[in-house]
Amino acid sequence: MEANAIEVRNLNISFDGVKVLEGVDFTLGVGETHALVGANGAGKSTLVKILNGIYHKDSGEISVFGSSTPYDSAQGARERGIAMVYQDLSLVPPLTVTENIFLSRPPFRKGIFLNTAKAHDEAVKILASLGVDTVIDPDSRIEDISVGQQQLVEIAKALSLEPRILILDEPTASLSNSEINVLFRVIERLKGRGISIIYITHYLRDIFKICDRVTVLRDGSVVLAKPVAETDIWELVHEMVGGQAETSVVWKRTEPAPGVKPLLELENVTTRSIRDVSLHVFPGQVVGIAGLLGSGRTELFRALYGLDRRISGRIVVNGREVAIRSPSDALAAGIALVPEDRRKQGLVLDFSVEQNIMLPILRKLRGKMLLSGKKSGTLVDHYIKYLMVKTQDRRQHVRYLSGGNQQKIVVAKCLASEASVLLLDDPTFGVDIHSKLEIMRIVREFAAAGKAILFVSSEFKELAEFCDEIYILKKGSVSGDVRRNVTEDQLMQMVQ
Amino acid sequence: MNVRISSKINLRNSVIYIVFAGIFALFSIILFNKGFLSPDNLLNIARQTAMISIMAVGMTFVLCVAEIDLSFGAVVALSALVTAMTLRATGSIPLSVLAGLGSGVAVGLFNGFFIAQIGIPSFLVTLGTTGIVSGIARWISHLQSIPIDNDAFVFVFGSGDLGPVPILFVWTLIVAVIGVLVLKKTAFGLKTLATGGNKISALYSGIKTNRIKLGVMVLNAVLAALAGILYAGRLHGARYTLGDSDVMIVIAAVIIGGTSMFGGKGSVIGSVLGALIMGILNNGLILMGLDVDQQLIFRGIIIITAVTLTMREKKS
Repeated sequence: MEANAIEVRNLNISFDGVKVLEGVDFTLGVGETHALVGANGAGKSTLVKILNGIYHKDSGEISVFGSSTPYDSAQGARERGIAMVYQDLSLVPPLTVTENIFLSRPPFRKGIFLNTAKAHDEAVKILASLGVDTVIDPDSRIEDISVGQQQLVEIAKALSLEPRILILDEPTASLSNSEINVLFRVIERLKGRGISIIYITHYLRDIFKICDRVTVLRDGSVVLAKPVAETDIWELVHEMVGGQAETSVVWKRTEPAPGVKPLLELENVTTRSIRDVSLHVFPGQVVGIAGLLGSGRTELFRALYGLDRRISGRIVVNGREVAIRSPSDALAAGIALVPEDRRKQGLVLDFSVEQNIMLPILRKLRGKMLLSGKKSGTLVDHYIKYLMVKTQDRRQHVRYLSGGNQQKIVVAKCLASEASVLLLDDPTFGVDIHSKLEIMRIVREFAAAGKAILFVSSEFKELAEFCDEIYILKKGSVSGDVRRNVTEDQLMQMVQ
Repeated sequence: MNVRISSKINLRNSVIYIVFAGIFALFSIILFNKGFLSPDNLLNIARQTAMISIMAVGMTFVLCVAEIDLSFGAVVALSALVTAMTLRATGSIPLSVLAGLGSGVAVGLFNGFFIAQIGIPSFLVTLGTTGIVSGIARWISHLQSIPIDNDAFVFVFGSGDLGPVPILFVWTLIVAVIGVLVLKKTAFGLKTLATGGNKISALYSGIKTNRIKLGVMVLNAVLAALAGILYAGRLHGARYTLGDSDVMIVIAAVIIGGTSMFGGKGSVIGSVLGALIMGILNNGLILMGLDVDQQLIFRGIIIITAVTLTMREKKS
């Protein structure tokens, strides 16, 4: 019998004394596409980083194609035929597609010079083997192509090493539907070539389209490992959350009471990227913004938060027109933002939980002259508890928290600023289902306290389930306004 | 993994103390017969390091906000000259000190404006400013020394002693204590670290990052100006060459002290210890009887060694 591609037995690893993986067994068959799922912080990324030689296990056995010789670097993993496609793209933006594809291997040479013609041909060959040579020009720069195309280049780059095992970490996270379909066709082709694939994802439905087996991790242990054909989405969700959470969000729509004034009003707001946007949000309401990438949904928030200059139009909060020219003006007017990219825009990663939460409210934490450690400590401990943040204590650096917990810290910053209007830009992106439900609970409580929420999400299902009213945004303008129950599919059609 | 990371951070924070103790112990043994440990010599070290320490406190803030300032050496000379000339012209100590500090504020605002408002890299701006400021210093002094004969001034700003304690040591202590408190315990300090650690997140958190950068550049220039005034008091006069050789020493002291060159992390106490290491080194090499050329070579080697030790874990 042929050995499995990867066999992991009784794997353990701890960080900072906290067990992250405990007694994990994992088998990847040759030519198999194996889904690896679990809530954020369950240990998926840690497991594949060990397999890829980046983290070093504390104990346990790993054998690759029957050989259990240990390796302790990405180079070692590569020599055994393992290549990884990272979640945060690892491409160099100003370089061309070809240059990026061959970045991790020795360059093609002609004497002492680079053989660019050969590199070009080889790049075309790899792209053709993925069936995307007509979509991607090997000479274009990475910064000029779409995120979906970048993802494919990232896979081509991994394939340039001719791996037998490919690890894909959340490959669909930032892709549009049509791009996802292209990606799935690529995966089918790779399967056809006998390449074994570990596929990490939060999108459970995708598993049933392309994977053969699935392993579920919860709190560092394997709780389920089965052929995909023998399970369904409900079982997966149930195992991921451990039966502690509701599996869907139920939300009753609030109609504004007659005579109540809106808490937030936009009148004909125009910036470089949006045109004549008018909308209002009443106290207690969650208002959604539905639009495709590039529809101006993020730009609308940028205008509201003082990041883009307003050319014309008025912003009214609580009946008073406010002049917002910077984020500090927005915060002073009672508008807080949970930005799109928590690591780049929401957090200072090398700051502690406490310092991050303090940032927008330093004025309030001042004692006579110096900052009061007592005030901030009490406040921060309150939010850690209220938001159920998994952290050692408030002095833990946020870099070491999982994605879901990092997002909770960003939400805590907004709550601490005591804003009356909360702007949420895709707050559940890349967040596990458990944290997602918790964040939704907080949002709901926030609205119930008579405050206003403006909500952008890349998941229309979330908008359809969650919002009292949804504005449709197309090419920078409002094209419609939905106040009844809608389904995901209907919304999808409206934004086209 | 995290265990290792955190123990490395601790190691990194304590390396400065180990290096400090190591160099001190080494010189105590080698130079025991040459009076390294004598009270006179130790006080001398305290005097010689005062200005470096004060400038290192300012430079800590600059590195924390992820910028650099190369012009502060020139500010030392300008401030010393402006102070000495104002004192000679008016005889007023407060006025001359204000004039000296004012020259620092002016240079700091100039640097800060181009860095924060226009967005030119601080390396280039301050390289340019260095030329402008040194040029002004040479021009207004006609390359001549300007003596100071005001006894009260030289006592308070550099040459006096309070009992056994040199007044320069008192100045260092005041600046260091304020520096520690401002960086760790005030909104300005936290905003400085946040701006250096992640400028975009800081901006999104409502911090006016441009204003913080401007403030830090002014702070650093003012502390350099103070150092210039203290040089003038200690040397009984000012000259355009003051501060010339301090730029490398101050930056090295801050980095040895554990402050990140990439912003977001820094320690004022570390910087002051780094400055003391520089002072001890200087003193020890002189006591060893090395001539100036040899001192330069040794100092360069030791700085690189010390920085290598403190930055070792950066590689992984």
